[in-house]
Amino acid sequence: MALLDIKNLSLYIETANGVVKALDKISFVLNEGEIKALVGESGSGKTLVVKAIIGALPDYWQIKADRLTYKGQDLINMSYEQRRQIMRRDIAVVFQEPTSSLDPSVKLGDQIEESIPPEFINKGWFWERNKQRKDIAIGLLHKVGIRNHKKWMNCFPHEIPSNVSQKIMIAMALASEPSVLIADDSTRSMESTTKTQVLRLLVKLNKTKNLSILFVSHDLLSITSIANSMTVLYCGQTVESGKVRSLLKRPLHPYTKALLDSAPSFQISLPSKSPLKALKGTIPSLQNLPTGCRLGPRCPNARKECVVAPPMRNIQDHQYACHYPLHFPSHKKHATNEMVLKSAPEEIAGKKDIYD
Amino acid sequence: MIKLLIRYFNLMVITIFALIVLSFLLPYLFPGDLLTNVSGIVPQSELQREALAKAYRLDQSYFSQFQLYLSNLFSGNWGVSSVSQLDLLEEIKRAFPATLELVIYALLVATFVGIPVGFISGLKHHNPADFSVVTFSIVGYSFPVFWLALLFITIFCLQLQWLPISGRVDLLYEVQHQTGFVIIDIWLSGLDNTKDAYLNALRHAILPTLSIAVVTTALFIRFTRRSTMDVMEKGYIIAAKSRGFTQRQIFFKHGFKNALIPILPILALQISTLITNAMIVENIFSWPGIGYWLIQAIYQQDYPAIRAGMLVVALFVLTLTITIEFITRALDPTKEETARAAV
Repeated sequence: MALLDIKNLSLYIETANGVVKALDKISFVLNEGEIKALVGESGSGKTLVVKAIIGALPDYWQIKADRLTYKGQDLINMSYEQRRQIMRRDIAVVFQEPTSSLDPSVKLGDQIEESIPPEFINKGWFWERNKQRKDIAIGLLHKVGIRNHKKWMNCFPHEIPSNVSQKIMIAMALASEPSVLIADDSTRSMESTTKTQVLRLLVKLNKTKNLSILFVSHDLLSITSIANSMTVLYCGQTVESGKVRSLLKRPLHPYTKALLDSAPSFQISLPSKSPLKALKGTIPSLQNLPTGCRLGPRCPNARKECVVAPPMRNIQDHQYACHYPLHFPSHKKHATNEMVLKSAPEEIAGKKDIYD
Repeated sequence: MIKLLIRYFNLMVITIFALIVLSFLLPYLFPGDLLTNVSGIVPQSELQREALAKAYRLDQSYFSQFQLYLSNLFSGNWGVSSVSQLDLLEEIKRAFPATLELVIYALLVATFVGIPVGFISGLKHHNPADFSVVTFSIVGYSFPVFWLALLFITIFCLQLQWLPISGRVDLLYEVQHQTGFVIIDIWLSGLDNTKDAYLNALRHAILPTLSIAVVTTALFIRFTRRSTMDVMEKGYIIAAKSRGFTQRQIFFKHGFKNALIPILPILALQISTLITNAMIVENIFSWPGIGYWLIQAIYQQDYPAIRAGMLVVALFVLTLTITIEFITRALDPTKEETARAAV
């Protein structure tokens, strides 16, 4: 069942140079019990997508979407109060920078206790309630792998190392026992031991609590180690989406290919001291976005048709937005869904081994 | 915490000492007769002059004079005014509470109007209400205090005749001087018509208070608004929103304190500006405070009075500033001793 269903999410930002389309028809689905990765380099709009989901964008930015639903409830048009209730109980977010996401003037213990929903406290007297709240907070810290709870709970956020504060952020996110956890680049700037701990924790939660996780990152290695499916973003556009294994094995979009090529861990055959492949140029600024497919100016396969934005196409679970996908028998113009299905059933059957 | 207290206390003692040294030097720098400058008494005969010089140790070293000055200062023997021959300590005790009272009124107005308005317009910024608040604060901040006071007098006292021009309370009410604060004095005097006296004192206080409160309120609004806007965009506020807390909870638990911490010292330091403004406005409204008293002393070249008045005002501002620094420093958890060497 789809928990988060996003279809053609666009975000318009008013700048001094006119309206900029920061997100252009982003679509993906987060299913129940799934770990979904949202991949893209810095500036590709990952965090904007997260903020659009949780409603943290400024009011004067315009969001348009065919669908932005949680369990079938429309998140955009619902009242503030309804959305708040959903955020309180069902969706939890772990932000990029843990230290700035914690209130600097409140002790950590109090902040964790604050994030426990009042419904969880059922004792009568206030001292019993305080005790219960504290016990739940300590339990949460143990759950995320912090043994020394006494030491950290009396600290202020600036006094603790960032890996501990990241774990505390996760503990706070788990306090309301959510069904969706959005981890916005939570392992950024972590050294590998801590990163592994956090990733292991996420997988464990996914397995034991059936927690669905939207894992936003640019770290391909950790994505491939934990995620089931992934969606690749480039400059505010969905580029490719599908099961992690099939994307790794056979990327259809040139950008996905370039992204994978830039990570040496995925190229076993890479000879030593050979230059890494990378696309020329940089991600365009929001003021100068190319029309059509935004990869156009940097794409090795770009043709005339690429000035028109390609629609999303499906091959089985694999979606891509490209006029001239890689690994295709012939560069047929407008190789639509039906054409692929009609013309090449045997071809897909032949590629089965590639897919799995 | 104890360490911090000792450090700030140390700072205060040293600065006060420097102030006292400066005030000791003043009579030597003033023009005129040194003996009169120091003692406040114009000697009528050679005999008296010699006796006074001996009493003030003018024949001895500067150090021994300073010793005498210190011991006089601490024993409350501040000398006499060269004009009225009244005891200076008593005079200051009479005048200073009046200024303090005015400052407290203005501070109350600024705090209870400026900070809430600043918070509200900071929370709901960029709408017509917010713009009008900003406009008011800019206009209010740009008014020269003395001119505003004159304007108030013209409008409310002379044209409309709503409020009295000068003084603290009508002579009709026999308010004895006890503490120097008119509110307490009225209560202590036990008049038959206490209520009327209070009303009268209030009517006297409105204009002077307003004329110094406008600037400070405008400043408070601007600081609070800016700080609120900054804080409400911080990561932890967004995080709190994403946790689905109510707007109230977010503001009162996370926004309020964090918005106030950086501006509290700035706001509190406005008290010294407020005292300066009060001293100006006192002259316009003939409010019998330290500013009025000091200006009179300056007109009459009453050097002992100038010295004592300057010392008292400076001491007060200094003590206040250091206390505020200490409190804000003690309240802010991010400024721990260990955090000084950030890696």
